[in-house]
Amino acid sequence: MDRNEKDITVNTENVESDGSTRRTFIKGSLAVGAALAMPAIITSKSAQAAGHAAAVKVGHLEDLSGNLAVYGVQKDHAAQLAVSEINAGLTLKGGPVGSGGLGAFGNVASKPPLMGVGKGDLNYVNDGGGRSKEAVTFTEDDEILVDSGDDGILGRPVELINLDGQSNNNVWQQLTRKLIQGDKVDCLVAGFTSAEREAIRPIVDQFKQLYIYTNQYEGGVADANTFCTGAICEQQVIPVVDYMVKTFGPRIYTIAADYNFGQLTAAWTKATAPLVGGEIIEEEFVPLSVSDFSTSIARIQAAKPDWVFTLLVGSNQSNYYPQASAAGLEYPMASTVNMAQGYEHRRFSAPSLNRMHNCVNYIEEIPTKRNRDFVQRWYKMFPNDPYIGQMAQNTYFSIHMYAKAARLAGTTEQEAVKKALESGMSIEAPEGTVFMEPATHHAGHYIRLAVADAEHNVQFLREWPMITPWWLHRMGVNLVGKKEYKQYIPDEDPYFTMFGK
Amino acid sequence: MEIAPLIISLVYQALTAGAFLVLCSIGLMIVLGMMNIINLAHGEIMMIGAYVASLLVTEGLPFFLTLPFCFLVGVLVGLVIEFLFIRYLYSRILSALVLTWGLGLIIAQGALLIYGPFLPSIKIPFGSIEYGGFTYSIYQLFLIFVAALLVALIYFILQKTELGLKARATMQNPEIASTIGINRKKMFSITFAFGAGLAALAGGVLAPTTTIAPFMGTQFVAPAFITVVVGGATNIITGTLYSAGSLAAIRTPIGMYLGSFAGTVGLFFAALILIRLYPNGLASIRLFGRR
Repeated sequence: MDRNEKDITVNTENVESDGSTRRTFIKGSLAVGAALAMPAIITSKSAQAAGHAAAVKVGHLEDLSGNLAVYGVQKDHAAQLAVSEINAGLTLKGGPVGSGGLGAFGNVASKPPLMGVGKGDLNYVNDGGGRSKEAVTFTEDDEILVDSGDDGILGRPVELINLDGQSNNNVWQQLTRKLIQGDKVDCLVAGFTSAEREAIRPIVDQFKQLYIYTNQYEGGVADANTFCTGAICEQQVIPVVDYMVKTFGPRIYTIAADYNFGQLTAAWTKATAPLVGGEIIEEEFVPLSVSDFSTSIARIQAAKPDWVFTLLVGSNQSNYYPQASAAGLEYPMASTVNMAQGYEHRRFSAPSLNRMHNCVNYIEEIPTKRNRDFVQRWYKMFPNDPYIGQMAQNTYFSIHMYAKAARLAGTTEQEAVKKALESGMSIEAPEGTVFMEPATHHAGHYIRLAVADAEHNVQFLREWPMITPWWLHRMGVNLVGKKEYKQYIPDEDPYFTMFGK
Repeated sequence: MEIAPLIISLVYQALTAGAFLVLCSIGLMIVLGMMNIINLAHGEIMMIGAYVASLLVTEGLPFFLTLPFCFLVGVLVGLVIEFLFIRYLYSRILSALVLTWGLGLIIAQGALLIYGPFLPSIKIPFGSIEYGGFTYSIYQLFLIFVAALLVALIYFILQKTELGLKARATMQNPEIASTIGINRKKMFSITFAFGAGLAALAGGVLAPTTTIAPFMGTQFVAPAFITVVVGGATNIITGTLYSAGSLAAIRTPIGMYLGSFAGTVGLFFAALILIRLYPNGLASIRLFGRR
């Protein structure tokens, strides 16, 4: 049973009004701290009054400047929001087995059908009446942010130490060492690109640091110290490629950022396309520094695909969209990153992102009540932010998840918290229920297929209430039973070569 | 595939790439080529141009009317930087390099603090035309025209006006120039401001094709420096044209057949070979007799 379940009837009125004054204070003190990339300390009033309890340190490292600042600033704000909520005595619902396990929306009849004895066919005594689009198969919690019954974490205030990685892998390594050895953080939340993650993971493993990587990525990291809370290829690539092949046709042109994320996600696409009847007719890898796409556009036109799979990363590469649109390139597009991370549909004039499809675990436009509440809380704290992206939401629930795990463990001792994170816990995030899968240290997500139209409005075409991270299971990974510290790649799996042509 | 549309597409791509290199490097070429100042804040001045364009478009001004403002703001920024810092560093190349690098960081980070991670993008004007299976952005064709126009304008100013003559004289030998009554401080100041104005104007015209963000300058700086170094400083006009032309002509076919990665490698490799063969830059090649 979830320990917070009993506290469900929290007086939201009080929490709101109390929270907002505190937020104003926090916002003021943090705006400066975050802006200068200086460590910021958030403590709750009650904890300050209580006095001496040493803070729980959450280290947060993201790019607040450079080519990747667009994503890092969002994630930094997410961390601040989560920590301020934890210090205000709030938590997201969930816990081992979650608040009722894996919640799922769906169409149900108003009453369960009543079945009688049939003769050669099913005999409905009562078919339950018309199907309802409103109902859910499991009651969704409207209010996911509830009283934690705790001050900060285990009565200790949470201190967020947020640093700027400057979009530079060397700086990432230095600052990771500082956070682990200097600040001795209890939990490290960090990493945008896969290059950044792989740059710091050896340091994380050297010190057995509890590390949460909140980005969506190519998948495959099996690391006893690392918990990956972003969506991965089996959750994003296969559903969207399946939809695109069936809707627009089998011929796929992949244009991807030339580093480990782009290369490996493209490899996933190539490997899984034959499973759903697709075929990669051309793959092009673009260095991160490239910002002039005339040649790529002409190549795509020469290849004449049915649709284009774009895995472009960073400010420079997002120039592709306006340039392709101005050149009259009108192929349908799919991606695992664009729109949900860099909100290209908000930044670029319509119709540059027309017919862009992406299977996301989060995007600001999700119309559920819990997400609308989250969006409101966010903009109350950061009124000038342009967008809440997929990874910002991941960072937000991940820090709450860390707090829950520490409470469950009864300590911030890192090995104990890692065990608590392996307890099969779920958390009610703004996207829906997220399940931390113990054996692979990856998250099961609520996946939605989002598409932008010619005016850049967003629509959700399909929903998968829970896609579990299954591929590392295929590879025999069980981090609970056997500790590993490597990243598996699609080439290691005979499954993929089996179907390739 | 038919051969004619493909060739036309390749020519278009090469001209587009060449125009991009010219626009990136033109302001830098003036400052480096004439004043021997390595201006590492060049990308940030281009960013300022793009910011001016985006902010004014958001205010409701038509995009093309924002371009004069981009130039003027660039000139103002150039005057201020020259007045406060650069004039003390004319004989100290490395000090100027470090100083402008720091200035660039301050300008970019300042833009991030003031305006956040992005400004609204500008819709690319005009549409596209189609020929033989390839489509062409009319705005990219316009950029080729702008690049050519700017080169012609600079040629005119430097070669045909008294100001240009004085500027060239000052750059060649400041001491002697001042003995014949040229105010060298003023000439340096004007030249730097003009270079900055051109950079900001280039940032403005390129703005619709890019993400308008604080660190957008980095995407222009590398191509700009490669173009300038390959071109050499002996003659701004021929240096820019030869360099941008040859680099684009090498990059485009490689990129078309082997992809962007190979195209980029090809560009760097070509730059390497050209610098090795012509250490003083392509401008030192005498094609039309007069240099």
